[in-house]
Amino acid sequence: MPARPRAPRSPRTKALRRHAALYLGLVPFLLIAVFPVFWMAVTAVKQESDLYRMDVVPFWFHLPPTWKNFDLLFHRTSYRDWIVNTAAISFWVSLITLLTAVPAGYALARLRLPFAENLGIGIFLTYLVPAIILFIPLARVVSTLDLQDRWWSLVVVYPTFTIPFCTWLLMGFFKTVPFEIEEAAMVDGCGQVGALLRVVLPVSLPGVITAVIFSFTLSMQDFLYSLAFVSISEQKPVPLGVATELIRGDVFFWGSLMAGALLVGVPVAILYNLFLDKFITGITGAALK
Amino acid sequence: MAEVPGAPTPGTCPVAVGERVGVRFRWRAPAARRCLLGYALLAPAVLYVGALVGVPFLFSLYLAMSDATVGDPVAGFVGLENFRAALESTTFHVALRNTVVFTVGAGVLKGLLGTTLAFLLVQPFVGRRVVRALVVIPFTLPIAISVLGWKWMFDSQFSVLNWALSRVGLIGGYGSPDWPVWLGQPSLALASVMFVNVWRGFPFTAIVLMAGLTSVPTEIIDSARVDGASFLQRFRKIIVPMIAPILFIGAAFDTVFTLSDLSIVYLLTNGGPDGATEILPTLAYNTGIRAGALGRGAAISLFLFPLLLPAMVLLLRTLRRRQY
Amino acid sequence: MSDAQTVRTDLAIGRRGFLKATGAGIAGGGLLTAVGARRAPAQLKGTSLRMLMWSHFVPAYDAWLDDFARKWGEKNGVRVRVDHIPHLELPARWAAEFAAGAGHDLIQFAGQIFTGQYYRHLVDLSDLAAALEKKYGKWMENARSAAQVRGVWYGIPDFYIAIPVLWRKDLFDSVGVGEPKTWEDLRKAGRLLKARGHPTGMQFSHCNDANHNWRALLYCFGAKETDPSGENIALDSRETREALRFAKALFDEGMTPEVFSWDDASDNRFLASGVGCWIHDAISAFRTTQDTNPRVFKDTYCVPEVAGPGGQKWNVGEPNVWAIWKFGKNPQAARDFIAALVDHQKEAMEASRGYNMPFLRDHYRKPMPGLGNDPKLAVLQEQDRITAFFGYPGLMSPPAQEVLTTFVIPDMFTRVARGAAIEDVMKWGLGEIRRIYAKHRAA
Repeated sequence: MPARPRAPRSPRTKALRRHAALYLGLVPFLLIAVFPVFWMAVTAVKQESDLYRMDVVPFWFHLPPTWKNFDLLFHRTSYRDWIVNTAAISFWVSLITLLTAVPAGYALARLRLPFAENLGIGIFLTYLVPAIILFIPLARVVSTLDLQDRWWSLVVVYPTFTIPFCTWLLMGFFKTVPFEIEEAAMVDGCGQVGALLRVVLPVSLPGVITAVIFSFTLSMQDFLYSLAFVSISEQKPVPLGVATELIRGDVFFWGSLMAGALLVGVPVAILYNLFLDKFITGITGAALK
Repeated sequence: MAEVPGAPTPGTCPVAVGERVGVRFRWRAPAARRCLLGYALLAPAVLYVGALVGVPFLFSLYLAMSDATVGDPVAGFVGLENFRAALESTTFHVALRNTVVFTVGAGVLKGLLGTTLAFLLVQPFVGRRVVRALVVIPFTLPIAISVLGWKWMFDSQFSVLNWALSRVGLIGGYGSPDWPVWLGQPSLALASVMFVNVWRGFPFTAIVLMAGLTSVPTEIIDSARVDGASFLQRFRKIIVPMIAPILFIGAAFDTVFTLSDLSIVYLLTNGGPDGATEILPTLAYNTGIRAGALGRGAAISLFLFPLLLPAMVLLLRTLRRRQY
Repeated sequence: MSDAQTVRTDLAIGRRGFLKATGAGIAGGGLLTAVGARRAPAQLKGTSLRMLMWSHFVPAYDAWLDDFARKWGEKNGVRVRVDHIPHLELPARWAAEFAAGAGHDLIQFAGQIFTGQYYRHLVDLSDLAAALEKKYGKWMENARSAAQVRGVWYGIPDFYIAIPVLWRKDLFDSVGVGEPKTWEDLRKAGRLLKARGHPTGMQFSHCNDANHNWRALLYCFGAKETDPSGENIALDSRETREALRFAKALFDEGMTPEVFSWDDASDNRFLASGVGCWIHDAISAFRTTQDTNPRVFKDTYCVPEVAGPGGQKWNVGEPNVWAIWKFGKNPQAARDFIAALVDHQKEAMEASRGYNMPFLRDHYRKPMPGLGNDPKLAVLQEQDRITAFFGYPGLMSPPAQEVLTTFVIPDMFTRVARGAAIEDVMKWGLGEIRRIYAKHRAA
């Protein structure tokens, strides 16, 4: 057994040094990622006239912080509806995506099907037509389904971009699962589907969770489809509602805009973390020790 | 890449051997049943996307070869005229160049930053959860709104970035010649919109990679370590090939998303000043939708289609054929 | 295919000839009576009316309008719903509604004027336009440019936004310039005041204001985008070149490079912060200053427009135009609503704090709401005489619209300001514009 070629050191010092190096490496990332978010958070609770002062440190408050921007968001717009809509849209989109992309990804990764490859590629190719053109014919589809101006229209449309992505993503994950794990399950009497559900899926859980998170976030990145299909305030999702109702001409409600974004973005980030940790503790890090 | 089990002394890695055996003998069910099951599993996804986007997809392709306008979409077929006309315009040339610079530049940066971040974040350390939650926020914020935050940070007068730079003495005060106008100086403007794309996208790369890394079965790595593989060997021979499919898929999707990403440029500069940040999506949107010349807009947005189509087909094929 | 043919023939018919041929008699009498301030016909009871419009730059106006619409609906037994989205995003929604063949009954073109794009699918409103003209005096000459296609009214102009000069009297006085009367005065003030830390600015970027402001300069210098038919490009002129040359001087002497990054709101902040000595923008900038910086506001004044070298004055306004989809479910209610709103023009203009400039002659009776009693803004009460719209003196046609949304004119000015040779810039700009017009002619 080859020994680690390192000078013996007290574990404590070693851990400290390792942490110091890691933190040092993380600092630039944290700065890049977090500073704008911090700035948005500060803006969200600043008074309007406090934003236009360049003579003092802009990172902090010179007029007392205010909840006015949140008040505007919750009491003078339909923000509460938007949150509910966004949550509902994300839920249904994720569900539809999982129900279709997990089996599809599995079939593509594991079962050598004639012609399946082309089908899989075909799904992906729909991305090559940008939404800025695609929304026009899709508008017809939406109105044929009688879903115009209802958030359900987005539940129908969003999977067209979450399914291809998640199918290919999950395919990648399923491929990393060694065959013999599946073999063993099948020896134990599971069918192919049983093996998928009982063995492959649990092992690929990080991938499945990643797929759900992407369905969530991709749904929240859309602007154009929701703009084209939903114009009724109470039916809008958060990004559309915030960006269309808190910018009025050349008046930007900066504080409320930022508050509106953070209130949906931060919980998703936290949620993602909780899931990730819950399911894969112990696996991480083993790769690189 | 059939030679995955690249442990330093071949043949001693039990997992790898087992896997190769698996490749050969795994199918007990008759081929017909397997096919049936396979298509059944594939059907929902294919049907969903096909039914909803199939016809619109073809319609979009047709638009690009027609003289359609928003008010007259059933229009005459003009062949490649829209593409030819686009090529004649220098505005289009600039947009094409910017698109390539934007996509490639931002793609490389996202890859580098995202990979580094992923490797840092799979290490166990105190406070990892907090750090991980913080760095993914840029990706989870709705882009249509977070870009407005950047618009405010890049403001020519009230930029907080300039304030900070000025305070530490790197630049002069407002009105001085070295006061950067982030969205106003041609190359700086392009760099700024690229940076916002990177800011938003590198957590995405990191998430994909982290998920990939964590799904590499521990036993494989452990056994390789037992076999005396060094860190670099393990990285190159095991980890990279194991996560490569995910990495490639991530890169492919990111490229396609970036190529059609309208929001950042549209909201920050709308392609200005004088086309310095013009990219194909903004030009297509302003021509096809905001001016109503649908056919011309479709051609601009699909201009790279003939290039991307074979590239993506090739990439995806290679990817799918890789067996581990 | 046959559609393309029809368009071609139609184009050949003169605009004026068409004006006489249509208008009369198509929709008949029911409409004319509806214009009066009487109750809506009983058949409207129990119907619903959906309208889509922009988010007004004066948020209080939207509140007023939503309330007005609600009350109008209650009075007439119509369920009314008003949806607002930012003007830049309207075209995407129109395109989606048109493709779907369903959506709002009443829409409002703002920022982008799509009368020329959609006229085949819009209700002919010539009778309503005629009735309103009878009641409230002549339409402003340029009103037609936004609402007509070949003499037929496919839209009813609601209001336009004036883009005047807003200037700091204290600063101008300090360098002995006084009230600006010409572009030359503005240039001089910029030059003298930039040295004292108070530069000026107009957007050299891809935003609406850039399109308005540089067109105003062009038109004041006597340059024209097209001939009056709107079909032949007339930009290749000595006047255009002079305007470009002047803009270069204006930039070099009086501005800082930040103008290259400005959006529609940047100059508002620039003025309100007390830095800018003058800007060329809608009075929302005036209001922003009023609300956020009273000290600067005290010395901020308004001039409707300044004259070019030949004494010409043209302000480029931003029109808002009502239109009714043919596929809309309730065209009658939509017409009645437009008429009712025109009847309440005074309240509307008051609610917009003097922002909504009327298109009908009688509405210019002094004092105008929101303007007449404001000593600084009273000068805007004759704005109809100097207002033109993009494409001038042609119509706001589809090619003119494309020249607008692809920012060719601002880009020409940007190139010159950055030091490009005027002839090179002319060659480039004319090439882009010719391509656009040629395409629309072929279609």
